[in-house]
Amino acid sequence: MEEDIKPDIKPVIDETPKEPDDKKTNLCVALKILKKYNLNTTVETLKKEANLTDSAYNTSELDVNNALNVYKSQGDPSVYENAYITLSKFVETSLDIYKHELGCVLYPVFIHMYLDLVCNGYEAEAIQFMKKFAPGQESYYQNDIRNLAIITKKEELNDNVIVSSYKSNEFVVRMSRDTLSLLKRHLKEKKQTVLLDIVQENLFFDVYEGLARNKQQIDAVAGGMIGEGTRQDNKLRVYYGLMKEPDLQTAAAAVNLEEDEEEEGEKPKKKKSKTNPLLSKKTKIDPNAPPIDRMTLPQLREIDKKIKVQAVLDSAKRVALSPETLPSVCCYTLLNCSHAVNCATISDDATMLAVGLANSRIRVWSLVPQKLRAMKTADQLLDIDLEADDVMHRILDDRSAETTRTLLGHFGAVYQVSFSPDKTLLLSCSEDCTIRLWSLLLWSCVVAYKGSYHPVWDVKFSLHGYYFATASRDRTARLWSTDNYQSLRLFSGHFSDVDCCQFHPNSNYIATGSSDRTIRLWDCVTGEQVRLMTGHKGEILTLCFSNEGRVLASAGNDCNILLWDIAHGHLVAMLTGHKEPIRTLTFSRDSTILASGSHDCKIMLWDYSKMLEDLSLDDMNVHNQIIINDNDKYLLRAFGTKNSPVIHLFFSRRNIMFCVCSFSPPQSN
Amino acid sequence: MGEIEINYGSTIPTESLKVIAESVGIGNLSDDAAKEISDSATYRLKLVLQESKKFMVHSNRCKLLPSDIDNALKVFGIEPIYGFHSKDHIPFRYASGGGRELHFIDDKDIDLIEFVNAPLAKLPLEISIRCHWLAIDGVQPTVPENPPSVSKDMQKLECVDPLGKLKKPIDKEVSGRPSTGKAQKLRNVETVHVKQLATHELSVEQQLYYKEITEACVGSDEARRAEALQSLASDPGLHEMLPRMCTFIAEGVKVNVVQNNLALLIYLMRMVKALLDNPALYLEKYLHEIIPSVVTCVVSKQLCMRPEIDNHWALRDFASRLMAQICKMFNTPTNNVQTRITRVFTNATNSDKTALPSVYGALEGLAELGTETIKVFVIPRVRMISDRLDSPEVTQNNVDRISGNQIKHLLCKILTPVLKITHQPPDNIEEYKKEFGSVGVQLHAAVCKARVIVTSQNSNNQTTTQTSTQSRTAVGRPISATPGNSGAPQKYVLMSQRPIVSQTPPNKTVYISQQNIKTEFQDPSN
Repeated sequence: MEEDIKPDIKPVIDETPKEPDDKKTNLCVALKILKKYNLNTTVETLKKEANLTDSAYNTSELDVNNALNVYKSQGDPSVYENAYITLSKFVETSLDIYKHELGCVLYPVFIHMYLDLVCNGYEAEAIQFMKKFAPGQESYYQNDIRNLAIITKKEELNDNVIVSSYKSNEFVVRMSRDTLSLLKRHLKEKKQTVLLDIVQENLFFDVYEGLARNKQQIDAVAGGMIGEGTRQDNKLRVYYGLMKEPDLQTAAAAVNLEEDEEEEGEKPKKKKSKTNPLLSKKTKIDPNAPPIDRMTLPQLREIDKKIKVQAVLDSAKRVALSPETLPSVCCYTLLNCSHAVNCATISDDATMLAVGLANSRIRVWSLVPQKLRAMKTADQLLDIDLEADDVMHRILDDRSAETTRTLLGHFGAVYQVSFSPDKTLLLSCSEDCTIRLWSLLLWSCVVAYKGSYHPVWDVKFSLHGYYFATASRDRTARLWSTDNYQSLRLFSGHFSDVDCCQFHPNSNYIATGSSDRTIRLWDCVTGEQVRLMTGHKGEILTLCFSNEGRVLASAGNDCNILLWDIAHGHLVAMLTGHKEPIRTLTFSRDSTILASGSHDCKIMLWDYSKMLEDLSLDDMNVHNQIIINDNDKYLLRAFGTKNSPVIHLFFSRRNIMFCVCSFSPPQSN
Repeated sequence: MGEIEINYGSTIPTESLKVIAESVGIGNLSDDAAKEISDSATYRLKLVLQESKKFMVHSNRCKLLPSDIDNALKVFGIEPIYGFHSKDHIPFRYASGGGRELHFIDDKDIDLIEFVNAPLAKLPLEISIRCHWLAIDGVQPTVPENPPSVSKDMQKLECVDPLGKLKKPIDKEVSGRPSTGKAQKLRNVETVHVKQLATHELSVEQQLYYKEITEACVGSDEARRAEALQSLASDPGLHEMLPRMCTFIAEGVKVNVVQNNLALLIYLMRMVKALLDNPALYLEKYLHEIIPSVVTCVVSKQLCMRPEIDNHWALRDFASRLMAQICKMFNTPTNNVQTRITRVFTNATNSDKTALPSVYGALEGLAELGTETIKVFVIPRVRMISDRLDSPEVTQNNVDRISGNQIKHLLCKILTPVLKITHQPPDNIEEYKKEFGSVGVQLHAAVCKARVIVTSQNSNNQTTTQTSTQSRTAVGRPISATPGNSGAPQKYVLMSQRPIVSQTPPNKTVYISQQNIKTEFQDPSN
């Protein structure tokens, strides 16, 4: 221990800094340390040499710690530059197969060297260092670098979120064993303590056996703020399958009866026999499905069953899509509101459109001739026969019918709205830090949930209703239930804002995308993080699960669409084509087409069925991994809108695509 | 990455800080203090900007607004800035002097009385939704709500680089009908790139449309014609029909010039105007058909049955303006349209043999090309033309005499604004006579009159010199009745006004132009 510290400090003192004040404190600290280890003769000689009295070096313990901290990573700022240059030269000159993996080390080393320089108070050198080496870093890190370059003073380090995430977490670099041993050998040879310290303290090597990866493979998954996800992160089993649908035969019979009555017994027998096989088809059990009682799901009410039956009946009329038969797209353009629309969503049966506005209002439109009606007053409700079949219709007041309604309550921009599956409730989240639950029968706010004092970026209802998830600026995602003021689960782990969230179709998991450019999958039951996926180069703005629950699509500010295999946490496809941030993704109901909508006023259709064919997901395992990135092969068609950035895309049950966009007139200047 | 200049360390200049300090009463801020404050302020500013960017992203925008900054400040627990909303993109002005460089906000004095009495600002329009089919079975219909199937930029590119189309294998970006499978297969098999013959098949609907439009444009029903022209000027899906339209116009002009059918020629020119005005069309590929037709209508010897009474002058004026518009829109260093057109017109004015109506057309055509053209090509020839008009063979012939008068009026109209500037105020009638011949007298009078009007207007109010500005504005402007014109003016609508349809972009204007005309026009059915 003694030997370890002394040689480290001595040379530093020899190259005493210029300022006399600094020199004095440095000497004092050195003396203190010498004294601590009982090296009295050395103390005396040093004291004589430096003309110091006993009282002079009687500084507090805190000072010593401070000074030690400073010296921990060398005093001379030029050491950093040299060390970095040698390291980058080493990377440059190493064999091609190792070169790219070794290159992954450069960025974290660069960041920590810069932070060390700032921490040590070498402001000018730090700026110099930044100017010299920042342009050489990968383009997807430039945003973080720019954010870090703001910090040039020691005081500014303390309350900065980005710095603390870099300081308190190890940057994960995935490397083959060979590459790592090569790097270790280099570090040993050069004996640059600065470099050694940084690598030891701030880097984590996720070592694997086998060949080193090439540039393409690395670039595909690089980009996370704190490096890649480790394999350990993705080891837990994820039940990505769908649970068995509850038996709907009885409900179906009821619906049939109703329909038959309506159609006045027109071929009633034929109808019944037609619906039955449809409803009883999904009886085989998916081996990857979670046990039905794993997560407590809300009991199906009669009305829920009716909705489900209606959905199944609708799906029977679905258009089968293929590359030859592309969908029809119905476009709703929002007029007179450029810069004012933040979000839009369409209810599952495509009857209602809700739009969240920057002026804190929510507008709901009816997309069908049937207008939006409110419930009758309490007095009138008393007169209604509760046993009546059409009680749901009777409670509504026909005189209140309107095609559009405004919901007032938030006092900040509304960032997301989400319909409940039974479309009686609407959730919204806002800049005012609240999440509000609105009743679409009363057309008023019924609950305001408060999580933290940070804007909430995203809210999503579970497909089973009752539960909902939120994503917030406080770097957490939360799970809530509608009947509870407090959140049920708090998922923390992201290093930056959580920008979007999405429920898995089986409601057991929540996926979140964040500004730290990672996607995480959380288990609603245990609250654990079960997947960590990196590869995005910008903020992630939208997530979408495939209908069968195995594949997750994500997209965002980097204009790429990435597809992930949830079973193993692999990146399986990367689709590029958009030129501006992608806002929305959706799968067609028969899982043949993936549609993406972007700010560049384009909707692109991708051949998802072909991707599945080429990927053969069943053969995929932990080691075997294919990444698709042949855009031309999978891009089916691009539709342009007229100066209208696409906000929301949605496939109806009959596979008609709905598009919501807001018209923004071209700027004259 | 080397080529991208990334700025990692911009700071607030200390000079600005000192000025700000002065403005709050701190006289001599030391350099060190200024540096310290500037560093700190820069750091905080950048943090705020970083945060406000998040709000921008979540608000579905690519443009940072003051509200984003307010939100960011709120998140940091700082009082937001209220009331900073600027209409300008960047409201800062730049000034330098005395060794200082400054950016400042223009703080205009507002006249309170005027401000209070000003009419209230319009309420923003209610948000509404509009529903349309973006695509039907994967094909985008060419309705006005959809973007044009071939954008103007692409049409432009096609003109410059026709081979570019061949290089792209399958253009999925083009949202029209899917390319036929046959062509794709061929491309795979063949090794040599053979230019595919473009088959311009028109759908049944398009054929019907073509028939309807062309019939309406040259028919006798003025209301239908107006509708048809409106459609030509605004529909986004006309790209495929464009070659046929242009051929229709070219052929029509050829036939009707021979038959001296003035009315039909006017209708055809109005079609050209509509096509030029359509924001989704780019006509460069068809200029070889359009320009000869338009120039014919400018300089043709005879355009009507009875040159002495029919007002073919209006057609010449209108076609000249079209020509100028074409020059303005399509002139490039490679095609040199303007130079070539100028040469055609100049040649017509040079010769003694040119029929007088043609001289009129050529002069009008040159005049529309701008003041410089007038100075260089018209003024030196005025005397020659004037002498010719005074010659006995012109004055004795009735038709020629009318033409001569028209030319004189035209010269007065186009030369007055120019001469007013080029000639110094004391206007000497003798000098004018010497320079311009007999027209000099009229010119002198017109210039003097114009000067008087200007000075009286100046003394009255600072209203702009309407006559001169109007005659210099672009084509298709409303022309006020020229005061010098003789004969009972009869209004004849060349372009009729149509109500602006709500869906059309606001920048589109509908032009009306009225022209004095001395005779009735002939009905084409006669």
